[in-house]
This record gives sequence, C-alpha cells and structure tokens, in this order.
Amino acid sequence: MKTRRTIAATLLIGLALTGATRAETLSYADAVTNLAQDCGADIKKFCHGLNLGNGRIADCLQKNAAKISPVCVGTITTVLTSISQREQAQAAYVGVCKHDIAQLCSSVKGDGYRLACLIKAERRVGKACNQAITDAGWR
Amino acid sequence: MTRIRTLLLTLLVATSMTPDFTAAQEVSEQRIVSGLGKLVGAAPLIDIAILRQEAIDSGGVAMASLPNWGKIAKLPQMVVEIDFENDSVMIKPESYRSLGLIADALHHPNLWAYKFLIVGHSSSTGSDKHNLELSEKRAVAIGEILSTTFAVGPERLYAVGVGEYFPIDGTKGDAASNRRVQLVNLGIFTAP
Repeated sequence: MKTRRTIAATLLIGLALTGATRAETLSYADAVTNLAQDCGADIKKFCHGLNLGNGRIADCLQKNAAKISPVCVGTITTVLTSISQREQAQAAYVGVCKHDIAQLCSSVKGDGYRLACLIKAERRVGKACNQAITDAGWR
Repeated sequence: MTRIRTLLLTLLVATSMTPDFTAAQEVSEQRIVSGLGKLVGAAPLIDIAILRQEAIDSGGVAMASLPNWGKIAKLPQMVVEIDFENDSVMIKPESYRSLGLIADALHHPNLWAYKFLIVGHSSSTGSDKHNLELSEKRAVAIGEILSTTFAVGPERLYAVGVGEYFPIDGTKGDAASNRRVQLVNLGIFTAP
C-alpha cells in the first residue's frame, strides 16, 4: 500500500513537470466527498474507529482491497491523486505568478489582496499564472 | 456512558457573542475564509495547558469573562458541524466534506498566514473527566487530519479540549449543540 502511494506520488511529480497547465484539480472538500460517497460503507465496515489522519483510512482500505467495493478501490487512487495535484498547484502559485504580481499588483500588500488583484486583472495576467490560480481552486 | 455524537466546529464570526447555530449546517469554503479572515489587531499568545486549566477551574463562568479565554472569545470564529461516532474519535464519513472545506479555507491565501486554535467541547452527558479527555482527543484528531491528509502546516494548528465547561449560553448542558469544536484564528503565524 505504501508502494502504491509512492507510485502515485511519482506519477504526480511527472505530471507536474510535463504539464503545469493540466485540466481541473479537485478541492479537498470534493475529493473527500467522493471518498465518503464511494467508500463510506466500506470505511464503516472495515475501518471502524479510524480517522483520515496520517493516511489511516487509505491504508486500511488498501489493506482490505480484496473485500471492499471495486468503485471504492478506484476512488482511493483518484482521491489521493487529486489531493496531491491541488497541493502542488497551490505550491506552484507563488513562483508561477511572481512576475504577474510584480507587474500588475506590486503596490498591493498581503497575499489575499494580491490574489484578489490578480483575479480582477485576469485579462492582463499571463496564461500560466491564470492557470495556476484555477488549478489552485482560488477562482 | 457519554453520547457525544456531534461536535460543532465553532468558527464564530468576529466578536459576535451569539453564535449562529442555525446557519451551522450549510457551510462553504467562502464563508470560512471570510468569517475567519476578519482579524484585527494582534492575537494573544497561546498556552494550551493554561487554557485547559482555566476551563477546568471556571466553575460555570462564561468563556468570555475569563482572563485567557476572554481574549480567545474576541477572535474571528465560525461554526461547522462534525459528526463523530459515539464515544469515539472516529469522524463519520458524512463529515469528511466539512473537514475538506476547512482545509480548503486554510489553504486560501487569505488565511494561509494565520494560526488556528481547535477547541473541542462536549455536552454534559457523562463524567467531567471523560468528557474533557474525549473533547481533547477529538480536537487533536481534527488537527492531525488537517495537518497530514490535508497538508496544513502543523505549526499553524493548536488543539485543546474543554469538555463540558463552556456550555453555549441559554442552552442546557446536555443540549446537542454543546457538542462542538471551535476553530479560532489566532493571528499571523511567524516562524520561530
């Protein structure tokens, strides 16, 4: 199960390198909502007493992979993947948008206000930065 | 045996003294971001042990009138409901979404520089000591989920349980609405 997560992580790094402008990423809320919907029954049955923290639910579901529903098996991977994608998109934002911030929003103080400034200036913001904001889920 | 099934994540808005529990059910990332973002002035220094002891010694006095909790009560807060399994730290899958919404909000540039205090409460059903311990374990569990699964920096999160010591004004101690967790914005995070 650890290996699986490592593989997922490796794939992700690959994705991030090859395509910073990939399609939509999922919010944390939507990702875990899918997990609850597709795996909720299995979690209650096989992972009773466990929480999301420290990968306990993912580990438990993977340990019981033979017994849980096929839909849930697929969802675990999707959820882990989309959570890391969102994380990377958010981490990339500062670097990707640095130039746009300097050009369009340099007088604005505070990260929240700067983001608001970039969103307002969408038409003049570069493609990569616009995509980074979208991927980060901040629009 | 305690029947603490639900904890409300209380992220009370600004200095509002009457939390809007009817609105607690439907929460969005947007609401959390705007509700928690209204911090004006410097936030107090936090000592978890002092806060816990002050709660235990409070003798039914309201949170807002205590020296340390009084400062906390004035900070930006809000309400989200989290359902736990009976007498357990296990969060029901039905409440995963609420945790995800909080995580999304804490990752937003409006909030990413701030520290947060997670305060676990309980109803008065069951013994004081058990309620105190369970509420603390639940607050810690939420912190752990946010800092591992949802990659919120652990140095931004503090957790404390206060059991049944601070029932919501105007409710009975055993009311379900007293099973809640507060999330309080503690102010700008500065690296030690």
